[in-house]
Amino acid sequence: MEEIVLETRNITKIFPETIANKNISFKLKKGEIHALLGENGAGKTTLMNILYGIYMPTNGEIFINGQKVTIKSPLDAIKLGIGMIHQHFMLVETLTVLENIILGLKEYGFVINKRAVKEKLKEIEHLYSLKVEPNVKVWQTTVGEQQKIEIIKVLFRGANILILDEPTAVLTPQETQGLFKILKKMKDDGKSIIFITHKLEEVMQIADTITVLRKGEVIKTLPKDKTTKSELAQLMVGETQACDFLRKRKETNETILSIKGLIVYSDKGTKSLKGVDLDVKKGEILGIAGISGNGQKELVQTIAGLKKVAEGKIIFSGVDITNKHPRFISRLGINYIPADRLAMGVAPNLSSIDNAIMRRYYRFPLSKRGIMNHTKALAYTRMMAKAYKIKLDNPFAPIKLLSGGNMQKLILAREILENPKLLIASYPTRGLDIASTQFFRQKLIEIANKGKTIILVSEDLDEILSLSDRIAVMYEGRIVGIMDAEEADKNTIGLMMAGAKA
Amino acid sequence: MLYFEKRQSVPRYFKVIIPIISLLIGLIIGAIAVAIVGINPLDVYGGILSNAFGSWYAFSETLVAATPLILITAGLIVVFRMNVWNIGAYGQYIMGAIFSSYFALFASHGLSKPVMLAVMVISSMVGGAIWALIPTLLKIFWEVNEVITTLLLNYIALYTLKFLMYGPWKNPESYGFPLSKTFPQTAILPVLFKGTRLTVGIIFALIAVLIVWFLIKKSKFGYEVRIIGDNPLAAKYAGISVNRNIIIGMAINGALAGLAGMTEVSGIVHYLQVKIGADYGYTAIIVAWISYLDPLVTILASILFGGLASGGYSLQITMRVSYGIVGLIESITLFSLVGAQIFLNYKLRWKNGSS
Repeated sequence: MEEIVLETRNITKIFPETIANKNISFKLKKGEIHALLGENGAGKTTLMNILYGIYMPTNGEIFINGQKVTIKSPLDAIKLGIGMIHQHFMLVETLTVLENIILGLKEYGFVINKRAVKEKLKEIEHLYSLKVEPNVKVWQTTVGEQQKIEIIKVLFRGANILILDEPTAVLTPQETQGLFKILKKMKDDGKSIIFITHKLEEVMQIADTITVLRKGEVIKTLPKDKTTKSELAQLMVGETQACDFLRKRKETNETILSIKGLIVYSDKGTKSLKGVDLDVKKGEILGIAGISGNGQKELVQTIAGLKKVAEGKIIFSGVDITNKHPRFISRLGINYIPADRLAMGVAPNLSSIDNAIMRRYYRFPLSKRGIMNHTKALAYTRMMAKAYKIKLDNPFAPIKLLSGGNMQKLILAREILENPKLLIASYPTRGLDIASTQFFRQKLIEIANKGKTIILVSEDLDEILSLSDRIAVMYEGRIVGIMDAEEADKNTIGLMMAGAKA
Repeated sequence: MLYFEKRQSVPRYFKVIIPIISLLIGLIIGAIAVAIVGINPLDVYGGILSNAFGSWYAFSETLVAATPLILITAGLIVVFRMNVWNIGAYGQYIMGAIFSSYFALFASHGLSKPVMLAVMVISSMVGGAIWALIPTLLKIFWEVNEVITTLLLNYIALYTLKFLMYGPWKNPESYGFPLSKTFPQTAILPVLFKGTRLTVGIIFALIAVLIVWFLIKKSKFGYEVRIIGDNPLAAKYAGISVNRNIIIGMAINGALAGLAGMTEVSGIVHYLQVKIGADYGYTAIIVAWISYLDPLVTILASILFGGLASGGYSLQITMRVSYGIVGLIESITLFSLVGAQIFLNYKLRWKNGSS
């Protein structure tokens, strides 16, 4: 029974700036769910990308069923029976589910033999209770369904080893349980599963064996039965650091931001906000919970002036900011930390200086009569790095070379230094390690304690619960419930996130 | 197994070494092609070199060819940096020539030379800018791809020019040739050095480069251009008006291309005709690209290509080599220069595949 289907020996991957993997050795048994547990940046995804042929290891060996192999491309990986389900789905939205499933496969003919495909789909459905509607277009399906499609895609190609990269990040608690059932069935069928995550609870629930990674190294491999959550947490983080921050609630009854009947369309022309009403009180931390894609992003971007309001009104401190220019809004005192750092928060190939001055480059002293003062810009950046402990070896180097945590600190610093009355923080700690996460949470509490208002969007319920004064839950473009944080519990919020009525 | 790996950062000296090596590779491949045709490549290269840089006159001719290239490239840099792909310098150049020629041909009466030339400079810039703003507005308001519209407007410009040359603006004494009357003396750009064709146009070009350099490196506009070019979403987020900057950039671009057309008709040709060297508008795209969109580097690159063009042109006369051969060498060199840029962002690695 101790059949090893996959083994890595001393895998090392060196990038010019960092060592992502260092002498990683681990063994995957047939019919087991093996969790790779580690913080963001621990090297989990790099390791999986090596197994899937996206990166070549600098050193080390990979064995599949005892045979030494070289995986040069995903095609090699698929041939070896390895299937990967990425964190961000790799689906063609305008094609149907069926077309996506057979994409790249040659054996179903130039004119697709739909019957054969559907038969095989039936088989998979029967084996693993994985049911999808083959003829709808992918963009019409939900996130949970898309993940099923990805899994079917992989099974369709005959994979025996499945790699799931943070599969529950986009799922509701209920959907997560559904996924786990499927995984267990696959395991019983003799498939081996590598489950990448940083969520301890999921590991304890689903994994048989756990390998903990930290800073690119294997810290320990241990069977689930012989460990506890707190032991795993300690292994993940290294030394545990206690950090208690004290929230002094200072909210008033004064409404600082009032949103009425907000309707916003997405780029595809569908309604992404279907009539949002929301009052934010001065001085509070309002958490917005919800599965990604239920309108949170659109809501905060609309407040910041980045999306067009079709109907409704947004009033900030008595000023109508509906469809106003983003700069007008930021000058009024609304600052925004975008959800996706690289997509919106920074210009990745430009220097840290250029990125640090984004909010004030046009004002004196950084700029005078249209001419920039580069010396002042550098001084400002240095000051920012010092005050916010941003590790900035070379402020002239492209900002994309900074680590995620440092980059996020710079964005946060840039926005806070504008002294906003309302700070919107969208997924501010996503992808950050524990130390940076703590730093951020502390900063948010600090400025809230000074009487500033904060809107916090996060999919991490623990984060929302521990920071917010009030919590609003969004589902399908509406706010389905709003409650005081002290009265809120995870289960109710989870159900509301999945669409249950409050 | 050979494979490409993305570079995290680019060493500075690479930006110098890679073009030099790729230029050499291009010349070697060109030499092979020339040798196949049965001509000694050394003769051809020697000929080009001496015809381009061999004497003061040859060099002045190189600068004559470089003038429009520098002007157009300086403008292209501004919009290319915002990832707006203006392929229409060709048409903007023609429009600049037509607009300025109008004043030279029909409105020169009673104007002194400085006034006349100033009118021509301004009108050419307005003409080029208008031609550039048509596709820009289409892009901004209806999201029409500027590559298609600028390209198509080139043909419209060319046929407008042909219409004028075969029709209303044709010189009745031209024996059927499609050209206008010769410009009056007041409409002709002064020559800088006696015995050459090098006009004050080259000074316009150098001023244009300096202005663009200043805009890009020192001004608020340049900062906004950088952000837009790297991440338009971040620009929007920072409150930068992307459309406004694209309009300004395209106006500058069109104006400089139009001015290039003016320096050619007023400085070199002295009348308007169908062939006024609008192809500079296409060559400039490549010059901009191999200059890393750096305005100062474009001066060098433009002189290089100016030299190839003028050296190659004279080669037909002195050595009776077909211009096609020169065109071939030019294309191969360009191809290798542009193609080699992959090594700026990627490095070639060798990995033993069987291990």
